[in-house]
Parts: sequence; C-alpha cells; structure tokens
Amino acid sequence: MDRRDALAKMFSAKGVRVNTNRGEAYYEKLRETMEKRLNELRQTPAATKMDIHKALDAEGLSRRDFMKWASAITAMLMLPASFTPLVAEAAELMNRVPVIWIELQDCAGNSEAILRSDSPTIDELILETIDLEFNETLMAAAGHQAEAHLDEAMETFKGKYICVVEGSVPIGAGKEWCTIGAKAETFEEHLLRVAGNSAAVVAVGTCATFGGVPAASPNPTGAVGVQDIVKGKPIINIPACPANPANITGTIIHFVLTGQIPELDHLNRPKFAFGYRIHDNCERRAHFDAGEFVEEWGDEGAQNNWCLYKMGCKGPMTFNNCSIVRYNSGTNWPIGAGHGCIGCSEPQFWDKYAYERPMADANIKAPTGGVEKSVDEFGLGLLTAAGVGIAIHAAVSVAAGKKDEE
Amino acid sequence: MKPGYKKVKRMTAFMRINHWVVAICMVAAVVTGLYIGHPYYQTLIAEPAVDKYVMAWNRWVHLMAAIIFDVSSIIIAYLYFFSRFEKPILKILPTPKNVVEFFMVFLNLITFNRVKKFDSSHADSFNTVYFLIFHLLLAWMLFSGLQLYVHGLESGHSSIGDWWPAVLHLATDWTVPFTGGTYMDVRYWHHMSMYFIIVWVMFHIYYQVWRTIYWQEGDIAIVFGGSKFVKKD
Ligand code: HEM
Ligand code: SF4
Repeated sequence: MDRRDALAKMFSAKGVRVNTNRGEAYYEKLRETMEKRLNELRQTPAATKMDIHKALDAEGLSRRDFMKWASAITAMLMLPASFTPLVAEAAELMNRVPVIWIELQDCAGNSEAILRSDSPTIDELILETIDLEFNETLMAAAGHQAEAHLDEAMETFKGKYICVVEGSVPIGAGKEWCTIGAKAETFEEHLLRVAGNSAAVVAVGTCATFGGVPAASPNPTGAVGVQDIVKGKPIINIPACPANPANITGTIIHFVLTGQIPELDHLNRPKFAFGYRIHDNCERRAHFDAGEFVEEWGDEGAQNNWCLYKMGCKGPMTFNNCSIVRYNSGTNWPIGAGHGCIGCSEPQFWDKYAYERPMADANIKAPTGGVEKSVDEFGLGLLTAAGVGIAIHAAVSVAAGKKDEE
Repeated sequence: MKPGYKKVKRMTAFMRINHWVVAICMVAAVVTGLYIGHPYYQTLIAEPAVDKYVMAWNRWVHLMAAIIFDVSSIIIAYLYFFSRFEKPILKILPTPKNVVEFFMVFLNLITFNRVKKFDSSHADSFNTVYFLIFHLLLAWMLFSGLQLYVHGLESGHSSIGDWWPAVLHLATDWTVPFTGGTYMDVRYWHHMSMYFIIVWVMFHIYYQVWRTIYWQEGDIAIVFGGSKFVKKD
C-alpha cells in the first residue's frame, strides 16, 4: 500500500465506500473460501424439501431468469461477474441454512413485504426456501408445541443458525406489557436467549435496528434496537420500513457464501445496500438542481414529476438503495410514485425525518424545550430579542449616556 | 489629524481585507443557505432546462462562500498564535489583567460610558473574547457544513482525489453524535447556528458604532483605514 492509500484508509474508517477493485489475489482467496464453505454446506442434509428449483418451477420461472437474478445479486454484492455461478450455487444451498425468525414489537411488515406479493420475485422465493426453523407468522405450530420446536431448533443448530429479528425491544417502564409464551418471557429475555446461541443476528426493518416507530417520542415502552441489547455477536442491520427483500437476500447469501458478515457502515448496515444516498441516484434530481419543486399535491409540478423536496423529501439525508433497486421487482419506489422519501432507514426517522415539509419548516421542540416551533420561527424570535435589547441600550445611551469630551 | 490626538494602528491591511471578505461571504451564505433550507422563490419560469440551475447555483454560491471561510479560518487560527502584529491569544488567556480588563470594558458598556477605566487605544479583552465567540461559531458552521457536504461524496471519490472525503469524514463525523445522532440533527443545528451568527453580527455592528459615537476615537475607521485616534496624554 502506498502512503496515500494508507492515509485514506486511516481516515475513511467511517465512509460508506466499498472498494470493488482489490486485485486478483484477493478475489482468488475469496473464491477459495466460498468454494470450501459451499462444499461443507452441500455435505449437510437439506432441512426442507423445498429448494429453489422447485420454487422456480412452481412460479413458471426459467433457469435463465434465475441466472439473470444471480448476476444481479453478484453485482449488488460488488463481486466480479465471474462469481455468478457461486452465487447461484449458494442460492441452491439456502435450504441448508437454518434461520430462526423472531418477532418483537413489530407489525410483521417485513415478513409481509417478502411474502405477500402476488407474483413473488426470485428474492422472495429464495427466502421461502431457506430453512426457516421458526417464524410465528408462518408456522403451523402454536403454544407449547411452538415453544418446544424453538428449543429443539436452538439445540440442534447451536452456533449455526441465523437469528433474524423483526421489531423493537421494549426495555423501559412498560416492558412487562410485552411477553411471549406461557412463562411470560419478556421480549428482551426472549431475544437474548435466541440470539445467544446463534451464529449471527440480522435485525430486519427499522424497529429492530434503531427502535423505529415504537421508539418514536415519547417512546412509552422504552423501545430500543437489537444492537442496544445483544452484545458479542455479529449484528447486521437492514433497516427501512419495510426492509427491502433484495437487501435481506443479499445479506443472507453473503453469509451463506463466506460465513462472514458483509462490510458494514457505522450503523452496522451492509455497505453494498446502504452506501448510496437516495438524493444522488434519484430520477428527480435534475429538477432539484433546476429549482423546480412540487409545491402542493397534484399541482403543475407534481404532474411534471418535479422534485419533492418542498413536500418534505428527505432523500438528501437518507442512505439506502431504494432509488436503484426499488421495490417489488423494481416496479416502483416512493419517490417514483410521487411521495417524498421519509428517511425510513435512518435512526430516529419517525421524529426527525418523517414530516411532510422541509426540515426548516417543521415544528420541532425548541432548544429551550418549550413550544414546538420551526427553526426559522425560533431564529426570528432570537433576532427580535437581540434587536429589542440593542434598541433599549441605544435609547438609554442617548438619554443617559456620556460622550467622551473631544 | 486633530491637534492633541495621535493615530494608533489597529488592523493590518490583511486583517481588513479578511474582514470584508468574511462579511460578504456571510451575507452570501445566509441568503443562499436560507434558499437551500426552504427554496423561497418560485421557479415556474418559462425557461427550458438549458441554463436553469437555480438550486445548483445557490448551492454553488453557498459552498464557494464556505471554502473561502475555510481558508480564512485557517489563517485566522494561525494568527491567533503567531501574528506578528497582535496575537489575539494574549488577550484571551484568563490572566488577572485580562479578566479585569474584560469586566471594565463590560462595565463601560452597561454604564453607557459613564465609567471608563481602561486603555481604549489598543485591542481590549472584551472585544477579543467577543471575536473568539464568532470564530468558534464560524468553525462550527464549517464542521457541520462540511459534514452535510460529505454526504454527497458517498462514493469516496472527489474531483480532487479520494483523500478529500476521507479527511472530511475524519474531521466532521463527530458532529453527528454531538448534535443528537442523526444527519438531520446536524442539519438542524447548522441552520439554527446561522441565527446565533446573525445575532452576533447585529451586536457587533451596533457596538462598533456605539464605541465610535461615545468614545469619540473614530473606532469605526479601524476596519477601513486600519487605525483609530486617541488623545495624547
Ligand atoms: C457561516 C455561514 C453559514 C451559514 C449562515 C449557513 C447557512 C445554511 C443554512 C440556513 C442551510 C440550510 C439548512 C436547512 O434548513 O436545511 C445550509 C445548508 C448547507 N450548508 Fe451552510 N451555512 C454556512 C456555512 C457553511 C459552510 C462553511 C459549509 C461547508 C461546506 C456549509 C455547507 C452547507 C451544506 C452542504 C448545506 C446543505 C446543502 C444541501 O444539502 O444541498 N455551510 N447552510
Ligand atoms: S425528490 Fe428527494 S431525493 Fe429526489 S432530488 Fe428531490 S429531494 Fe432529492
């Protein structure tokens, strides 16, 4: 490494950039790791009868569709194109990766995002073929039977399973309101128990990552994210409301391929997905630069797809790949559909991003803690106070002040 | 010059040029910053996109003002310690002499110049501390502004090399936890601090005019010609 590289490395510890050109030696070594890992997986018995080819057949998708998907995921994971066969193989071996999916304070929206589309994408099918050992929304078992199954899965796959968490963890005064099972385990205890034996924890959706909507002011349950509770385990955050199935699949495939978690940013989000700013890849950006803004829903600007900044778009402060990957097999995404970004993949988004006007016009608690005011109202108040103070000083100076003799 | 008065040099040519450059940039930064925060003039101008870059120009002016602030601030920070004219740091250190002078000048202000027990011919501690507050506010605008700016360089590249975003992250990432943990907090405080600066400017201008009127030593001339006039003892 030359000196400039070394310096850049030292300084950019928190940047979101992924180096996609690490030289042949690096990729050779990576390929070996992956091949070894896939071999090991192939030796283990498949846990479900479902595999990706059956799922594809059932949906009438061809091998060609599958390979197209595999090369897209390879690119998304920022691997060279020659890794495509490995990614495809990993997808075929997904039914050998045990996953325990638990739900805490959530709306099951992330599960729904994956499961409820009428024509599932390959991302979604992949998630159907994983060895889902436990998922409250989907499984047939209930009550004691479900609990017994969870215990058994945790024992059998000890240290091997991925613990996926959906929903926030209440740890405040109201934490007793949320319990699971006959023994009234609190969500926190439940999470610690299940995460404790896992290989890695994947927090899916903004509630699990940063507390999300339940943590919004005044946060009655003292909701926090998984990373605030679970320590000493690799944790991957996949925020957004809901998390994009493409990013969930990408992360799990990365884990299947390498046995390691992908490169993460300072909020533990995979850089391959959260290394992009919405605003920089937005189709309306030219209108932003031109100063052409939608002023009201349905106005002239809205009909011409102008920039949604004045309607409160938070794309300039939000990192996610929605503007590139989009949702529902690339059908559309919020800004494409005419509503600004609400910053759902950023911490504290409900309080600090999700209002339908620019930050400068939003009513936020004044720094004094008092009435909610916009920053400009508060600022004008400050200026008025200063002006009054100066006017009084000037008036008294004229009336009672003393000029030095010339 | 009036008989009985002598001229004292208070600002070098460089300091005066810097003062006016900063003043102009400040007006530009406020005007364009407010536009960026809330685009306040309408652009339903029947003009094709060919040269219509209203937001882009506002951001350009804002960032140009910012980079001039950057350079100016680095030089001013250096002069605090190493100026060959007057080192401001010597007036800021809380030595007994400086503390007494600070309060005497303050007393002068709140007694409407009825009490004046300090030497007004040279730079005094009160004004120097007041300027320090400005320089700290400006430094804060730089750090928070550069944090907002580096969000757009998420590729890690810039036209002047990869070191630039890297240095910006190192120098400004602390502003995020410092303001409350999200990028929006940085933005909020960048905007809010603008008002603190404007308040600072209001009092600054008032105070310099006030001194000129009540002290009768031509203080306002310092920033134009570089000197003021004091009575010979
Ligand atoms: C000292 C004078 C300055 C003033 C009064 C000022 C004022 C403002 C204001 C009011 C905003 C709008 C914030 C909002 O409501 O969203 C803003 C945005 C911004 N400022 Fe400043 N600012 C100053 C200096 C700087 C500096 C030194 C930089 C450094 C590069 C900077 C970079 C930015 C950036 C990048 C934005 C966001 C623009 C965008 O996202 O397009 N500012 N500024
Ligand atoms: S719509 Fe939002 S993300 Fe797109 S250019 Fe406008 S402000 Fe940026």
